[in-house]
Amino acid sequence: MSTRITQSMVSRNVLSDLQDVSNRLSQTQEKLSSGREITKPSDNPFGTSKALSLSNSLEATQQYERTVSDATAWTNLTETTLGSVSDAAQRARELLVQAGNDTNGTTSRSAIADEIDQLIDSIKGDANVKYGGQYIFSGANTTQAPYVVGGSPANDAYQGDTNGVFRTIGPGVSVQVNTIGSSVLGSGVPGDGGLISVLRGISQHLRSGTTADADTLRTTDLSSLDSAMDNLTSARAVNGATSNRLSSASDRLSQIEQSTTSLLSDTQDADMAKTMIDFSMQQTVYQSALRAGANIVQASLLDFLS
Amino acid sequence: MPAISTFFGLETTLRGLMAQQGALDVTSHNIANANTIGYSRQQAVFTSSDPLQVTDGARLSTLASMGTGVDIQSYSRVRDQFLDAQYRGQNMVLGQQSTTSDSLNQIEAALQEPSSSGLSAQLAKFWSAWSNVAQDATSNAGRQSLVDQANTVVETLHSLDSQLTDAANQASAEYTSLTQPGGDIDQSLQQIASLNKAIQTAVSSGDHPNDLMDKRDQLLDKLSELGQVSVTDLGDGSIQVNFGDAATPVVSGATVTWPQTLNNAGPPPTTSGGKLQALNDIFKTGGTVDSLRADLNGVASALATSVNAIHNTGGPTGVDFFSVGAAGTEAASISVNVNYATVVASSATGTGDIAAQIANLRGGTADANYSTFVTRIGSMAQDATRKESTAQALVNSVDSSRQSNSGVSMDEEMTNMVKFQRAYQASARAMSTMDELLDILINRTGKVGL
Repeated sequence: MSTRITQSMVSRNVLSDLQDVSNRLSQTQEKLSSGREITKPSDNPFGTSKALSLSNSLEATQQYERTVSDATAWTNLTETTLGSVSDAAQRARELLVQAGNDTNGTTSRSAIADEIDQLIDSIKGDANVKYGGQYIFSGANTTQAPYVVGGSPANDAYQGDTNGVFRTIGPGVSVQVNTIGSSVLGSGVPGDGGLISVLRGISQHLRSGTTADADTLRTTDLSSLDSAMDNLTSARAVNGATSNRLSSASDRLSQIEQSTTSLLSDTQDADMAKTMIDFSMQQTVYQSALRAGANIVQASLLDFLS
Repeated sequence: MPAISTFFGLETTLRGLMAQQGALDVTSHNIANANTIGYSRQQAVFTSSDPLQVTDGARLSTLASMGTGVDIQSYSRVRDQFLDAQYRGQNMVLGQQSTTSDSLNQIEAALQEPSSSGLSAQLAKFWSAWSNVAQDATSNAGRQSLVDQANTVVETLHSLDSQLTDAANQASAEYTSLTQPGGDIDQSLQQIASLNKAIQTAVSSGDHPNDLMDKRDQLLDKLSELGQVSVTDLGDGSIQVNFGDAATPVVSGATVTWPQTLNNAGPPPTTSGGKLQALNDIFKTGGTVDSLRADLNGVASALATSVNAIHNTGGPTGVDFFSVGAAGTEAASISVNVNYATVVASSATGTGDIAAQIANLRGGTADANYSTFVTRIGSMAQDATRKESTAQALVNSVDSSRQSNSGVSMDEEMTNMVKFQRAYQASARAMSTMDELLDILINRTGKVGL
């Protein structure tokens, strides 16, 4: 027996087909307006879990990038400061060589000693530089200025600690970004060979005026100053190496960010061209279904009986 | 020659007229109810009326049976009870799947994943906040923003947990409102019982209460969405209805036994099935919501344990960063135990090593547990939606078969209308012919030479 087709069947079928098409249309519309392939977890549960983990690693990479940029600024400031300290040490060496010359009298040696005291203050002032509110030469004790500027030799002592400040620039990768003030400029205690105590010694020797001290100026003090300056140079080299490492980490991180972003986009973003084509196809289907529905539902024998 | 009444033919045509008119009445009833939900088309069943036994006056033996026309034997309802049983079975599955899918979609929407406001993004920001503190361990601003972000994470966990609880409470409230005395089920059952009574009365007086039976079937269809319905015919027109795994038939004749305990447990056929089963599966102890809350508690507990384990190692006294309540309430009870001043970021002054270690927990158990949780809800919702659309397709297909059998076809009714109208006209013409014959007999016969 052939199927008996009734009006309510036809209208029900037309209605359920229309609802089906318009459902799909609204899903495609949601994809288009949100730009997302996955708007809720049930759209693609495994895609969702992939998207969650990718966006987490994206956030991690971005955080590492921020850390690297912060660490780079820190090392750049260290380099600038050490450069300026280096200039001051160079000037002190020139003065020392000049003062070593016996033609200089007590008065001019004392004037040179004054200038060297000024240089010590300027070096300490440089070392007290802050980055984002943190003293960068105080070790981990970043709230404490490393040196007290001005005053007597008694104020030369290093105030910070010798702990490193580390930055995590990748999963399990951390670098020390700080240069410990006491290892570059000395602890301020006479005889430690640090730049500050050497300069302070020179200034005292210049003022004392004894022959022995004048000899010391030419011999021991000059070699001590040279060794302190070598120390400074090697600290700059270490800092430079850190800076290079940060810069290559930054390059690597931005590559990772780029590839993670594109993976994430592949996973959760809608392919606009494909979605647009889907949308217009579904729209066509919907319109034809509407037209067909209108025609089918209308016609019956009733239309042809007089 | 035996005698047949002169007016016999008039009677025959009158029966014809009345039968065709009755059939036309049925046709118009069908047309009027073409769009009535639950209506089954009716048919006037014609049968030729009892023949007149023509006898020989002297010997009383039958010479012939003479046709006397037509009678309407009954008005029958076109309905297939097997299709009804199939429909109710599928409708029960649909009720269950659509309720499950609605509820899971609601839970899924509460997650707001994947987006920048979901818990996943909040956790990512939380780890970044630790990383910021690691960079500047003594800065109060960094610590304050860490504590704020931790509070956001905690609030998100609380809100997810309460949304889950809400879903269970809603399901429970709906279950109660459906099953309580005076609820939907009770009302349907009362109506079925009173229809039973009316149908029984009508049937016992030889009537065919087609429209009352349609109404009863419609109530059974509605009931089948809520749970498994099985119907037994009691033979006097009334029915007995078994519902779900209720011990006693809920309706038997005019008697209603409701409310009854439904166990909603175990695989079919001991389950109630339908919407009630779905609701119960959501809110029952150990049900969907319970198991999802356990997952969420796993996220909260992993977060608290992993952060606390590192946070405790620093500082003078070893303070917990998060505090959590008893097992099984972690997501609802987790809170931030420190303020910006008591956050431990370093084991020694200013190094920020503790904060850096905690920042390294990114992508650890808490994140993994949450991702599993989201994937699980997603898969469950996807599965429920797929099952719902399958059930919907099956219901549509069975309903189509039912409509094909019982629905009103306008083309058919129009054809019938033409058919019965023509038959009526022909019967009337036959009557006119009889009339003319009688005219000749009565008015013209015997008038001779006038």
